[in-house]
Formats: sequence, structure tokens, C-alpha cells
Amino acid sequence: MDAINFLLTPFVACLILLLINVYFGIHVIKREIIFIDISMAQIAALGGAVAMVIFQSAHPEASYEHAEHNTFSYLFSFGFITLAAVLFAFLKNKKNTVPLEALIGIAYAVATTGTVIILDKGAGGDVHVHNMLIGSILWTSWHDITRLSVVVLLVGIFHYIFRKKFFRLSDNYLSSEKSLNNQLFWDFMFYLSFGLVIIEAINMAGILTVFALLILPASFSALISAGWQSRILTGWAVGLIVIILGLFLSFKMDVPSSPVFIVLLAIFLLVGFVVKRFILKPGKK
Amino acid sequence: MIDTFLFLAPPIVACIIIAGMLGYFGNHILSRGIIFIDIAVAQIAALGTMIGILLGYPDTSLAVQLISFGFTIVILAVFALTRSKKSILPQEVIIGIFYCVALGIAFLLAEKIPGGSNFITKTITGNVLWVTWSDILGCAVLLSLIAGIHVIFGKKIKEVTSSFNSTSELLKNAKIYDLIFYITFGVVIVKAVPVLGIFLVFILLIAPAVSISLFTKNWKKRVAWSWIIGALGSILGLYISYSLNISNGPAIVCLLGILVFILVIVSYSSKKKNKNQEIKY
Repeated sequence: MDAINFLLTPFVACLILLLINVYFGIHVIKREIIFIDISMAQIAALGGAVAMVIFQSAHPEASYEHAEHNTFSYLFSFGFITLAAVLFAFLKNKKNTVPLEALIGIAYAVATTGTVIILDKGAGGDVHVHNMLIGSILWTSWHDITRLSVVVLLVGIFHYIFRKKFFRLSDNYLSSEKSLNNQLFWDFMFYLSFGLVIIEAINMAGILTVFALLILPASFSALISAGWQSRILTGWAVGLIVIILGLFLSFKMDVPSSPVFIVLLAIFLLVGFVVKRFILKPGKK
Repeated sequence: MIDTFLFLAPPIVACIIIAGMLGYFGNHILSRGIIFIDIAVAQIAALGTMIGILLGYPDTSLAVQLISFGFTIVILAVFALTRSKKSILPQEVIIGIFYCVALGIAFLLAEKIPGGSNFITKTITGNVLWVTWSDILGCAVLLSLIAGIHVIFGKKIKEVTSSFNSTSELLKNAKIYDLIFYITFGVVIVKAVPVLGIFLVFILLIAPAVSISLFTKNWKKRVAWSWIIGALGSILGLYISYSLNISNGPAIVCLLGILVFILVIVSYSSKKKNKNQEIKY
């Protein structure tokens, strides 16, 4: 019974993350900008790190915990995300000679190493980098969950209302023709809303969990179903199984939960791939 | 001044040598659109190293390196051999999955190694300042071997790269050349990452190749300029990191990365008139 109480918050947290991440994951795979979330997460983290340094130098007596996740650092993260959204939307929209993924990658590298440079100056940099990567979803509070659900709800409603625009945008993303009139604007909205979710998500779960929940269930769903609706439902289903199993295992074995999720999802993917390739379609090369 | 120079000479030489090799591979990677392959490979290699350490070998020993090499080559062979034109998931997605899984397992293992989280941070940043002349000699020998292989097979590999994203059938023997490409690439990455760190390797691969692709389509020019840009960026970055007393790898990464964004934005804004220009690989 204690275990259930203890695991209830991380379970709810993972569930909310899963709901939105599967949806975004399908978009991201269609656009072939797989690493956008790591990049965005790192850009938000860079904003947070900048805020932390500024905050600490302004209030030397404030503790490290104090500076985290307050309005100040949130504003910085938000500012950095908005900037990145403008940049990515703008750089895609021009006739581009460079794949967007390359620029996303460079932004990622710069943001990560920039964060390392900044945090080197503050104490506990190593620990912070580690936490940022892996997070600690087991210690999520209801307060964090409320914040996340508000953001997810808002972004979810927004995307539901304009779903046709976003679907069309991603479906035609790799072709060079324009699919919408205000493509630049909608692209910007896509990246911005994505970034908003990512800020909350990494604060709570860490980059690794968010990346895993984004890419792996969506990849699995791409293996076995077509069409937006069925893909989303498949992704949710597999994600749900993995979250329940993963939280339980990580609690029992006393290991961080996100690596367990990843390993479980990887097993699903592998099985799905083998089944698809060798059992369902024998005779094909 | 002389002291500074002597102190910085080994890292500078190391960067110049490795930048050449990475610049060459970077153009291939960029043309194939598999941008994150090296981060995935580096993560897989780091995982191999961690497995080696867990088996009880000291972290710079030959045994650890061999385990890391072996592990990486097996994974890359799987990657090269399973590629097909009918793949359901884009290559980049598969790379993302590999990366994610490797990183996840690395975190699980880090729990078992004393100072494991430290180790992961070290993998991220690297420290080129402590490279020795004997490390450099080892690198140089290995890289010339690989350069030799690519002088022999380079033309074929380039053909495979140019047709990588086209919908036509795979070239004859394409898989063999792919295998050569990925394995040599893996060896370079495994060698370079402990010296430079994941992000420096990544940026030396992609940033110079992206920068030069904005200006020329000529393959040889792109390779040559990639080397020059990478080398100059490294030297300047090292100097900046030394004089400002910040970590060297991150300094070079930020320098080259910001350079790319400036170049891209400038060239996009100035290219509005001849919009139809598109690069052909």
C-alpha cells in the first residue's frame, strides 16, 4: 500500500507526459527532426542556468534550491525557447540548403556546452548536469503535476482546435511546397507550444525520460499503424504498459526510472520490428 | 609566451589532426542527413568504455579501448546492414533510438561505478588540454590508416553517399561500402571522443561541413575548407579558453556553433533574390 502511495505521483506525472509526448513524437518523426526536443530542453536549461547565475550573484545568500524553478528562471527559459522557436521556424522556411536537423544539432551542442561553462562557475555543476539529464520523477510533487497539467491542457486544446493545420504542416514538412498560408507562423506556434511543454517536462522528469517518451512510443506506433488517430492511440497504449511496469521495477530494484522505461520500450520496439519484418511479411526482402 | 605555446602545442596539434578527419566525415554525414550518428556512436562507445571499467579494467587501459571498439563496431555493422530503401522509420529516428537506449543504459551502469555521474559529465566535456604527445602519435597512426582506406575506397563511398536519399535502388555492393564507411567512422569516433569529448567531436564534424556547404558545392573544396575551418576554430577556441580560464571543449563548441548560426542567417537573408538555388549532393 505504501508503494502505491509513493508511486502515485510519478505515475500521474508520467501519464500526463505520455499523453502529450506521443502526439508531439509523431509530428517530430514525420518532420525528421528527432533531436528537437533534446535541443529545446537544453536551450531551456541554458536559460535556467543563466537565470541561476544571475540570481546567485544578485542574492549570494540564497540557497541553490531556492533559485530553482522560480518565476525568474522560468522567464529566462521561456525567453530562450521563444527565441529558438523563431530561429527554427525561420531557418526552415527559407529555401534551405542545410538540413534543419543539422542546425538543431548545433544549437544542442552549443546550449549544452554553454550550460557546462556557466555551471562550472557555480558550485555543484556536475550534480546539476546529472540531474538535468536524468531528472528524478520519483520525487515529483503534486504542485509540479498541477503546473504540468495546466500547460499540457492548454497546449493540448490549442493543438486539438487547430489539429488539421498542424497535421498538414507535418505531413508535408519534407516537401518543398508550401502547405499553408501562414506557414512561418504555424511553425513558430508548433515549436513554441512544444517548447512550453518541454520546459515543464524536463523540470520534472529530466531530458532523458522526456526524449524516451517522445521518440520510442511514437516509433513503435509508426511500426504497427498508420494514420494520426491510430498512431496516437497505439503510442498511448504501449507507453501506459511501460510506465506501469517501469515504475514498479525501478521501485523494486532501486534504480532510476527513466533508464528502465527506455530499456522496456526498446524491448517493445525490437519485438515489434522483428514481428513486422520477419513474421507478418515473410517472403519480402 | 613560449611557456603558453609549449603548454598549448599538444592540444593544438591534436585538434588539427582530428579536425581534418572529422571534417571529411562531416561532409558525408551532412549529405546523408544522419546528423546525430556521431553522438549516438560516441554514446555507444562511452557505454562500451563503461562496460570495460565495470569489468575491472583501469579506464585508460588497452582492454577498455578494445571492448569499446568491439562494441561500437558490432552496433554499427547492425546499423549499416539493416538499412534498406523500404525502411518504415527514417534512419535518423533509428539513430535517435540507439542514442536514447545507449544513454539510458549508461545511466544504469553509472550507478554501479564510483563517481559514475562524474564520468558522464567527463564524457560530455572531455579535456583536450591533458593530451600527451604519445596520444597524438597513436591518433596520427590510426587516422592515417583510415585515410589510406578512404583514399582507396573514397570514390565508391562518395557515390553511395550521393545516392543515399534518392529513391533509386541501392548501388551494387552499396552495403559493403556502407560497412567500410561506418566502421572506419566508428573507429575515428571512438578514438576522438576520449580526447575531445562528445560535443567537440560533434561540432567538428557538423559545423565546418555546414559552414562550407553554404558557399560551395565542390566536394574537394568542401572537404579541404572543413579542415581549415575546424582547425582554425579549435586553435582560437583553445586560446580563448586558456585566457578566460573556461573549459576548452565547450569554448570551441560555442565558438564554431555560433559561427554557423551567423553564417546561416547571413546567407539566408542575403540569398532572398536567388531563392531557387538548391544544393545538389
